[in-house]
Amino acid sequence: MKPIILQGHERSLTQIVFNFEGDLLFSASKDSVVNAWFTSNGERLGTFGGIKGDGGHNGTVWTVAVDSQTRFLITGAADNTMKLWEISTGKCLFTWDFLTAVKRVAWNEEDDTILSITEQRSGQPSIIRIYKINRDEPTQQTTTPITTMTLSGSKATVALWTPLSEYILTGHESGKVAKYDVKSGEEVNYIDDAHSGEITDIQGSPDGTYFITSSKDKTARIFDSETLEEMKVFPTETPLNSACIAPLRPYIILGGGQDAMSVTTTSQRAGKFESRFWHKLFEEEVGRVKGHFGPINTLAVHPQGKAYASGAEDGFVRVHWFDESYFRSRPFGDLEPEVEV
Amino acid sequence: MAAVKPNTNWAEDDIEADELPQPTETTDPNTGITTITSWKLDEQDRKVKVTRRIRRRVQTQVVSHSVAERKGWAKFGLDKGKASGPDRKTTIIGENLHFRIAPVSKAEPEQADPVASKPTGGKAVVCRLCQGGHFTAKCPYKEQLAVIDNMNTEGMDEEEDAGAQGGLAPKGASGPGGKYVPPGQRAGGGAGESMFRSRDDLPTLRITSLSVDAEEDDVRELFEKFGRIARVSVVRDRETRQSKGLAFVSFEEKKHAEEAIKKMNGRGYDSLILNVAWSQPRGERA
Repeated sequence: MKPIILQGHERSLTQIVFNFEGDLLFSASKDSVVNAWFTSNGERLGTFGGIKGDGGHNGTVWTVAVDSQTRFLITGAADNTMKLWEISTGKCLFTWDFLTAVKRVAWNEEDDTILSITEQRSGQPSIIRIYKINRDEPTQQTTTPITTMTLSGSKATVALWTPLSEYILTGHESGKVAKYDVKSGEEVNYIDDAHSGEITDIQGSPDGTYFITSSKDKTARIFDSETLEEMKVFPTETPLNSACIAPLRPYIILGGGQDAMSVTTTSQRAGKFESRFWHKLFEEEVGRVKGHFGPINTLAVHPQGKAYASGAEDGFVRVHWFDESYFRSRPFGDLEPEVEV
Repeated sequence: MAAVKPNTNWAEDDIEADELPQPTETTDPNTGITTITSWKLDEQDRKVKVTRRIRRRVQTQVVSHSVAERKGWAKFGLDKGKASGPDRKTTIIGENLHFRIAPVSKAEPEQADPVASKPTGGKAVVCRLCQGGHFTAKCPYKEQLAVIDNMNTEGMDEEEDAGAQGGLAPKGASGPGGKYVPPGQRAGGGAGESMFRSRDDLPTLRITSLSVDAEEDDVRELFEKFGRIARVSVVRDRETRQSKGLAFVSFEEKKHAEEAIKKMNGRGYDSLILNVAWSQPRGERA
């Protein structure tokens, strides 16, 4: 497995996402530029922002989301704005202004609605807003959300749409996982002690019926999207920053490492800056991929399960295309079904 | 040059003198190898000729229309106007990683138990192959080790010693009581690791009379039972990519490499008898 190393950022990565076909990868970082890459050869298609006066972000880009047709990109940043971009040209089409930073954005299944989570800061509560997106005239967008959810308790850090886009699933700073009705804005279900630390990432399964959360409490957990019932637990030795579910094979990928502030005082090997593969069903670790010089902040897996990418505190993105042996692997031998390739 | 452009003034002439020749590209129709010659100026403004010989192989991949359309998009943002193809400034291909899905041993917490790991009296069960606390017949490394063990012609005492040190038990064996001690905290250690370890300080073996069908993974499989392997490379013909029957294996620990020489030199592999020896650094070679 030869990783493709992408060095298009000057600061640490915050979020990376593949598009629907998996031929493009979008990476957001603290240096305010969003990059688009071809995943097959690592060629950079372009940058969103980065040139003065072109309408780019002016602060850490915390989050990036791509629609399923790869036409529009949504980004949220610490300059208190959320932006809509045209992917084929890199042009900024619309900007929403907020009072605090935007920490998470996501498209729904129909590509016509987005969610945004704003940070709780300077007296402002953490708010989840749902916006309709005008796809026919992308420069004409409404600034009035269709639903506003003001969170009274612990702030939300991450969120995900459920299948059919009726609900959103949120992960909170306190370790709470909750489910909100998109139309009414009501909290329909929650687990207060899903994790004992801040939830750092939430990613869905290929069919959306379950999802994985990673947390600073050193565990990743799989929950049922319908009932929020906990299905699997993956305990590790380091705080986790990201987790994703690999399609095609029964594995999940976890990434983390100790806090950024203590990185310089520990050696690379002790830092455990590796992507870790766990067996989804047996809850056993099955492999590690090393290479980063800092904690992994974000992971994304190719939608067809052929590759995965990791973005780290060291500013690099590494794209790994899986070898033939990965697709044939049966780490637990006869306990697992035959693999058809 | 002046004859072609009679109206050039002296300033333009000066620029022309500094101008670099156009890069040329020729393809040999017999071998299919393309030679690209380009010119550049180095730091001291000297002309440098760069010749690259590459072979282009067309890989056809069936993709959806939208993916094919996106391949033709013009670059934008900071990359606007750049030529197609990966830019070396932003994209590099990393070194080959060995990644295999296999259960990660959880033996560590058990070995940390001082009672279990303490060598007890003569009655205790010790595996003859891996020195673990179980019967030889139940050894998890039986298949791998038994073959090699039979080849061992030397005394049993020495073998036991080498086995315990040789990292054949996957974890432990590095510190007192079998407990794993990080390299930085080991006695006599203390030095931190560097980000890029030089190739030359790794104990490297040179394997000759290797089957030309053996790939990197085969060689790795053959040698990884002796200890952690940092790098495996099979020497190939530059143009045909055919193996030359020569490979280099770098271990992380010298004792593992010594063990490998002892056990693998003279062993038959794919109808040839392997010749395993220390690799000589380039300068010391006769």
